[in-house]
Amino acid sequence: MEAASISHAAVHDGHDHHGPPAANRSSRVEPELLGMLLFIISEIMVFGAFFTAYFFIRIAQGNPWPAPGTSLPVQVAGVNTAILISSSFTIHWAQTSIKNGNRFGLKAGMLTTFLLGCSFLFIQINEYANIGFAPQDAAQQTIFYSLTGLHGAHVFIGLLLLLFVTIRAFRGHYTPEEHRGVEVPGIYWHFVDIMWIIVYTTVYVL
Amino acid sequence: MAAKLRAPGFYRAGIMMLGGVALATGLTWLVRMTTGHATYSHYLSGDAILSVSLLAVPLAFLIGIGGFDYWFYWAAGRPTRPEDHSGHGAYSWKDYFRVNTDHKVIGVQYTVSSFFFLLVGGLIAMLMRAQLAQPGSHFVDANTFNGLFSVHASLLIFLFIIPVFAGLANFVLPLMIGAPDMAFPRLNALSFWLLPVAGALMLGSFFAPGGAFADGWTAYAPLSDNAPIGQTFFSVAVQFAGASSIMTALNFLVTIITMRAPGMSFFRMPLLVWANFATSLLVVIATPFIAASQFFVLLDRALGFNFFNAAHGGDVLMYQHVFWFYSHPAVYIMMLPGFGIISEIIAVKARKPIFGYRMMAFSLLAIVALGFTVWAHHMFTSGMAAWIRIPMAITTAIIAVPTGIKIFSWLATLWRGVLHLDTPMLFALGFLTTFTLGGISGVMLAMVPFDIHVSATYFIVAHIHYVLFGGSLMTIFAGVYYWFPKMTGRMYDERLGKWHFWATFIFVNLTFGPMHILGLQGMPRRVSTYAAKFTDLNLFISLASFGLGLSTLVFFYNIVTSWRGGPRAIPNPWRGMTLEWQVSSPPPIFNFDRVPTVVGGPYEYGVPGAVHGIFAPAPAPAAAGAAASVVRAPSQ
Ligand code: HEM
Ligand SMILES: [Cu+2]
Repeated sequence: MEAASISHAAVHDGHDHHGPPAANRSSRVEPELLGMLLFIISEIMVFGAFFTAYFFIRIAQGNPWPAPGTSLPVQVAGVNTAILISSSFTIHWAQTSIKNGNRFGLKAGMLTTFLLGCSFLFIQINEYANIGFAPQDAAQQTIFYSLTGLHGAHVFIGLLLLLFVTIRAFRGHYTPEEHRGVEVPGIYWHFVDIMWIIVYTTVYVL
Repeated sequence: MAAKLRAPGFYRAGIMMLGGVALATGLTWLVRMTTGHATYSHYLSGDAILSVSLLAVPLAFLIGIGGFDYWFYWAAGRPTRPEDHSGHGAYSWKDYFRVNTDHKVIGVQYTVSSFFFLLVGGLIAMLMRAQLAQPGSHFVDANTFNGLFSVHASLLIFLFIIPVFAGLANFVLPLMIGAPDMAFPRLNALSFWLLPVAGALMLGSFFAPGGAFADGWTAYAPLSDNAPIGQTFFSVAVQFAGASSIMTALNFLVTIITMRAPGMSFFRMPLLVWANFATSLLVVIATPFIAASQFFVLLDRALGFNFFNAAHGGDVLMYQHVFWFYSHPAVYIMMLPGFGIISEIIAVKARKPIFGYRMMAFSLLAIVALGFTVWAHHMFTSGMAAWIRIPMAITTAIIAVPTGIKIFSWLATLWRGVLHLDTPMLFALGFLTTFTLGGISGVMLAMVPFDIHVSATYFIVAHIHYVLFGGSLMTIFAGVYYWFPKMTGRMYDERLGKWHFWATFIFVNLTFGPMHILGLQGMPRRVSTYAAKFTDLNLFISLASFGLGLSTLVFFYNIVTSWRGGPRAIPNPWRGMTLEWQVSSPPPIFNFDRVPTVVGGPYEYGVPGAVHGIFAPAPAPAAAGAAASVVRAPSQ
């Protein structure tokens, strides 16, 4: 994704093989960016299907919410929400830093974001362990675990991406000119954040 | 040897798959131990290990074959390597069994493996018709029969029609828009390799304890919740096939948007490109829903969740809503690329500009939008709230309008054209006929009272085969014949092709036509036997279907012999204007030495002096015409 580090290598073996002509760029949008946006559309639809299940179980079936005899830890999850939202700001900090050539800001921003994401996941798992009901109990619990679990899985994927970016940041990749590798995973991370706000509102608050 | 095991390929894949089984065993053992299964003997459960293996082993295979190599390399923090296309081209048949990033190689891989699944799915259909030739269970028992029709439909939908269109487009679409490759070649390779995995899972279900999945390609819950383990094979296979189509669709969209040749505005794109643009939008938006529906079933089955457990507040109708919200758009995923193929062929073979080019493009987009508003027409008899039927019946009738626009545009293109009635054109005309019949029965089904009468009868079977066999498959045959010279560099045998067409056309109607009558008389679909009064028509249908099966052998024979020893193809045997015909057959390894410039529409046949693309750096002024190799509209 970032060309600076490889340009030498490309020039080096560019002599002995004849390559294709460079493709014409018929749009100002970067292919990587567009690909990520389309992927996010797909992801939104996955969540859409899970919210459909939520709609049918909670509204169409009219099951009481939360299930009788259970309660949802709205405050704990609220703190967790704050953690995740703040991580959107730290990754933004990392991105602006590299644009201004501030490598320290890039590294610190990525690392903080990664750690914030980890603590979100950690708190979430703790919540599962202490919540006092299981997905097998009834449909409400099923959809509670499914929506939060689906989101958790996305946090996990996002964290993997962040980890790779952090490693690359520490290894000296990315320059003020070429930082798509930070930008594109960043979009995914913002998506994971916004999705959580929707999940939190519908599942815990409403 | 050690080097062989470390290099990506089938050896490494084999080792990895063993590792996958070990991982699945260890993982289930661990989870069952920590979540408190009472006795040690419960720590290991065959079903649990099998379920987890169904995910772990295919992933291990993909890692072993090398589908993820680059991303692992990237994840480890190494410098990025832009795809340099050095892996382009296939030099022997063995290269087709490796991970290759050349869109032309991938296109052939896709197409050939999909046709393999057509062969298998077709053989299964022959077994079904053998069973149905007479009433009574004389050939297979009812459960096996249920497995047969379920695997038949799933294979042909998820592993033939959907991917074969992706395969043909993979080959020709980058050429048509003047691009050296797809936007994400490595993703392209991965999305191909997911397919054999999905196919192996579906076919493997026959060997599962309890038999293959047996509740149709629709796999309605709660039946699928409680079915034997073969059902899990289906649910997992759909995940792989679905992931494959989403990746390809994303790739097509990015390729079409960002890699068109200079001068190729959206309204200068060939209609095949438009069709794949529309289809890819449908795939990206709709496919996650079927993935989710199968996630729900998997979670219910494997972990005892309650999505579809009515006793615990689950909702069984929800399955159908989520499933059809994908699967109705999916019928257009299975049709729109075919519309694209037909537009190409009819314009070239009638030697006329396509009638109403812009309407053709807009009607595709209209179908995409409307396609999301009709899903519950599959649920008229499901017991959902009755009022939903009315808006759904109306939207269903409306969606026939853009489809009709396309039919009339093709007819108007044919009008007073100079028709070249060779094999691709015959299939295109055959498609127009049978697909229109299928569309008419579709509009009949949109009428709720009529649908209530024939839902879940052979009338539905007739409808879907008119649109899928008479529609999609006809366009696929047309497309394969049309681009066969380009893909292989050889000509097919025209005489055999015509035989194939006439046999297909006649036997399709003889096989699926009488099914309308059976349905109206009340013969239910998905049954292994039937009342004695249906015997005569069923025997007739079975005999006709064997004829249809044999006609396909003509096709396979023609393709195999022509590929091996057919006469060499010239670059542009059909005198087409679109860019793929302006390069050699098969195309050079890197498609173009120089990216072409597009200066006009793609279908200006018979328009004096019309030009679509030129191989010059900039639009050539008229005086410099000699220097630039100008692609003129060939006179007819
Ligand atoms: C004019 C356009 C069409 C209309 C109005 C239409 C309408 C319908 C309706 C109302 C049904 C539900 C019947 C029932 O289950 O009671 C149906 C079933 C079906 N249609 Fe169409 N259809 C159209 C075109 C197509 C096309 C183009 C395809 C595929 C290429 C297609 C494939 C199917 C399939 C596969 C089913 C059966 C699904 C199943 O239950 O297994 N249809 N159609
Ligand atoms: Cu439909």
